[in-house]
Amino acid sequence: MRNPLSRWKNDLEYTSLVVGWSEDAGKLGDAVTNYLVEKLSGYLYYEIDPMEFFPLGGVTIEDDLVQFPESKFYICPDYRLIIFKSTTPSFEFHKFITRVLDIAEYQCKTREVYSIGSMISMSSHTKPRQLLGAFSSPEVKRDLDSYDIECNVNFETAPGQKPPLSSWLLWAAQKRNLIGAYLWIPVPFYLMSLPDPKSHKKMLEFFKQRFKLDININDFDESIKVQNEQINEARDLYPDVDDSLKRLENSLTLSEEDNVKLAKQIEEYLKARTN
Amino acid sequence: MGVILYKEPKFDKPDLIAAWPGIGNIGIIAVNTLRGQVDADEMGEIEPWDFFYPKRALINSSILETLDFPFSKFYYKILKQKDLLFFVGEEQPTNGEKVYAEGKKAYQMANLVLDIAEKFGCQRIYTSGAAVSFTHHELKPRVWVVTSQEQLTREIKTYSNTILMSEIEGRSERGSITGLNGLLVGLAKKRGFEAVCLMGEIPDYLSGVPFPYPRASRSVLEILSALLKIEVDYSVIDEMSFQVDEVISSIYEKLPNDIKEKIEQRKMGRLPALESITEEDGNWLKEHLDELFRGGRGNEKPS
Repeated sequence: MRNPLSRWKNDLEYTSLVVGWSEDAGKLGDAVTNYLVEKLSGYLYYEIDPMEFFPLGGVTIEDDLVQFPESKFYICPDYRLIIFKSTTPSFEFHKFITRVLDIAEYQCKTREVYSIGSMISMSSHTKPRQLLGAFSSPEVKRDLDSYDIECNVNFETAPGQKPPLSSWLLWAAQKRNLIGAYLWIPVPFYLMSLPDPKSHKKMLEFFKQRFKLDININDFDESIKVQNEQINEARDLYPDVDDSLKRLENSLTLSEEDNVKLAKQIEEYLKARTN
Repeated sequence: MGVILYKEPKFDKPDLIAAWPGIGNIGIIAVNTLRGQVDADEMGEIEPWDFFYPKRALINSSILETLDFPFSKFYYKILKQKDLLFFVGEEQPTNGEKVYAEGKKAYQMANLVLDIAEKFGCQRIYTSGAAVSFTHHELKPRVWVVTSQEQLTREIKTYSNTILMSEIEGRSERGSITGLNGLLVGLAKKRGFEAVCLMGEIPDYLSGVPFPYPRASRSVLEILSALLKIEVDYSVIDEMSFQVDEVISSIYEKLPNDIKEKIEQRKMGRLPALESITEEDGNWLKEHLDELFRGGRGNEKPS
């Protein structure tokens, strides 16, 4: 394992950590962290060894590509930002979170932790995306209230479900008296396994404003336009897709069967168009 | 990874009684009933985050209020006849998706429980669980006894309604106890404690149902009561049994007649497994019990 201090710049003061998980709906975590690393010229700083946290009895294949768990820290020194981009661990969650926060707090002088995520929404893609927040303290909430974040969220994990790992990370940050925010965006269910550029843009708007980033998030407008056009093509081709989307646009619910069918049709169509 | 102790009472060679959820929640109902009856106080807990994923997040007006983990708590009671330490776990720690404990996490938790037992001078450890058996739900559940020493086995076998694994019809002397109930007695033996596992019988056809089986908990509690010389009021557990019996009877009525006839034979005497319901019948029951429980079709077993 490489020396975590070997590439550290000593002149960095306090930093902020942005955490994204690669299994998010709408590929939100991956897209946002990749974008930030690329546009802010982030460089790889440290990688957590996967051995303790992931089953390594083989590899998974997605879209004919080998997938391997990754948990990487990138440093964007111009903005005092640390980006942590990771596959969600499969076990030893507490140890993993402790490791992430130890590296951030003690080696990268992190004081603020932002964990990003998405959740499945039954609404239509044509509706605006909303950024919701949960915070470590009322002070953090007050500090972030001026941004375009829904800051009056009431939520309790439903019986039989588990809280997302981001809420555990927020809890752990809270215990360390770090400034913590868990930010998430509801993503239309039929874009669950596809990129949702609208949610990517929405999340990045916050980071651009918060850290005064010199990035042009209108980059996403073209992707949004293309996706909308492709979904419109699917609507024209398949009357049942159009019918289901109209129902969602009018805030009506679909049957479970129609949900599954719509998600399958949209996914197949968009993937075919992309290829 | 550790234990937080709120109190460190002075004990005189206490016994430790441990339970986790399992089939029919037989052990945990018995232990919780005894713990309630002696009015045991909380003494400490095992830090949960190294063992469990959180079960609930509560966000209030966008502030993270709580993150709840399954608890693993110690309780105690100092009595004239016997000092008692209780350990009750809300879940069994696992490495993956299995319900019952196994692997490194289970081993670590069992060792932490025994560390506390050792710290307070315990000599004997009791665990309790289910014994899936070819019995009938109207028969009084027996209590299977497994211990760490022959002498202990002889002692506990003197109590009525107990049976050894080797005495079970159709079984050999060999068997296994899954999960922490088994692991804890094994580890307790290794670390030099006297260890006893009391397993209340549950009929095989009820081992997968999503409700408790308090009749077996009562049987376990009777043995614990006698061993510890503590009088127990069974009214609450009997009321629970009455309610569960009604549910079981309603499900039982919906079983196909040929299976019911075979199960009924068990009441005539405890028949060996293979002379009772067939493997095919058993599989059919496993596949259809949920449906029967929900009040669905009953008599449509393929012939």
